[in-house]
Parts: sequence; structure tokens; C-alpha cells
Amino acid sequence: MTADELCDWCEEVLQPYLDRELTADERKEAEGHLADCTYCRKRYKFEDGLRRLVRSSVLEPMEPALKARLANLRLEL
Amino acid sequence: MSETSSDGARRLAEGARNRVQFEEEALALADQVYRVARGVSRSKEEAEDLMQETYARAFRSWQSYTPGTNLRAWLLRILTNLNIDRGRRAQRAPDSQPLEETDYFLYNRLDPTNQSDEERVLQRLSQDNVAEALSEVPHDFRDVVVLVDIGEFSYAEAAQILDIPIGTVMSRLHRGRRILKKELADLAVDSQ
Repeated sequence: MTADELCDWCEEVLQPYLDRELTADERKEAEGHLADCTYCRKRYKFEDGLRRLVRSSVLEPMEPALKARLANLRLEL
Repeated sequence: MSETSSDGARRLAEGARNRVQFEEEALALADQVYRVARGVSRSKEEAEDLMQETYARAFRSWQSYTPGTNLRAWLLRILTNLNIDRGRRAQRAPDSQPLEETDYFLYNRLDPTNQSDEERVLQRLSQDNVAEALSEVPHDFRDVVVLVDIGEFSYAEAAQILDIPIGTVMSRLHRGRRILKKELADLAVDSQ
């Protein structure tokens, strides 16, 4: 995956596609392009993997004690 | 009881009901809010403090929330403002850090031979690497990356939460992700 293979479409549309910002028609068009363009498919897999990695870095759940402390912050009626 | 005072009692009871409902809904969102808190904080302790401050403020100002609007976004607006107020911006200026010309350096650093599958190459990074790299991204940029990538907010919602134009969300997101990749690339090289 090198800059030599650059695809203009990819630079413009891949991020909003991955960020769920495209309309249904635009998504369809994007998926058609991804099916045809090897370079964009590589970039897609990498960028999608990176987003999943970022999400998984904070999957550790909140401590139950913190949950209880938050509930105790409620004002008295 | 006169009609006026029974109206008053009804209003009070209704207010109490609305408040309890608000509190229950806000607490039900705590796990999702916590993920963002953890993403914008350097440590678990910092995230826990931020959560408590956010919920204390939310419970105090519940009447400024408009029922039926996005409560998660409302809570995160409080959280991101508090985080900014707490002065956690003492990091280097974003523009002082040169970024590579292209967006491929992370992949190329992870696999100089360019032979690996794009998804598999990322498995060389740990969750700790990502948390460390995120903490190195300056706040303005990190807030946007965390809201969109971890909170799964739209650009418009992130703009509303951070009170910045949507174009700024997009440019900060772009730059924030590039800084993140640069930090990850540096960590990947360090650990080799």
C-alpha cells in the first residue's frame, strides 16, 4: 500500500463512508467502487481495522463502585 | 384545597416525576458516556473523576435538558466542557508536530515489506498502544476522534457537542487521525 497507487475517490469518500456519513445512494456507489478498486479495498480494510482497534481500547467497563457513586449524586427529592 | 394550590401540587409531582425519569435515563447511559470519558482521559482515575463531575452537574441542571432530544449528546457536551475547563490542554501545540506527507506511514512502518494483509498488520498493535497513542493526541483533535470513533456520533452531533462548526469537526478528525497514526507508528518502531 503506497502513495504511488493513490486513488482520488478514496481520499475523498472513504472517511465519510467509514464514519456513516453517506446517504444510502452514496453508500451504494461507494460499495460499488470498493468492489472494483484494489487500492481502496486495502485502504478500507486498514482504516476499518484501525477504528475497531480504537474502539476496543476502551471496552473495559465502568467499575460497579463508580456506577453506585454516580447514582448517589442524585439530588434528594 | 383551593384549585390554585392543587394545580401547584400537581406541577410539583409532575416535576419530581420528570426529574426521576431524567436521572434514570442519564444513569442508563453511563456506560456509553464512560467510554468517551475514558477515551479523552489519560487514566482510569481521571475518567472516573470526570464522570462524577459530569453527573453531578447534569443532576443539578437537569431542567436545562429538553426532553426528547439526544440525552447522550447533552451529557457529553457537559463532559467535554468540564474536561476543557480542567485545563487538560497542557500538551504540545498540534502544529508543532510534523506529519508525514501521506497517510500510509503507519501501514508501512508496521510492515516494511508490504506483504501483510491490511487488517492483520494492525494486530501487531496492542490496546495499550492505542490508549497511549490516543493520550498523545492534543485535546482538540482527540475529543473529535473519540466522539466519532468511540462514541459513534455523526459529524453533526460532534459539532453540536463541542460547539464548533461541522467543517472544523471534519478537519480536526482528519488531522487527529493522522496524529494518532503517527504516534502508533512511533510506538510500533519503539517496540521492535
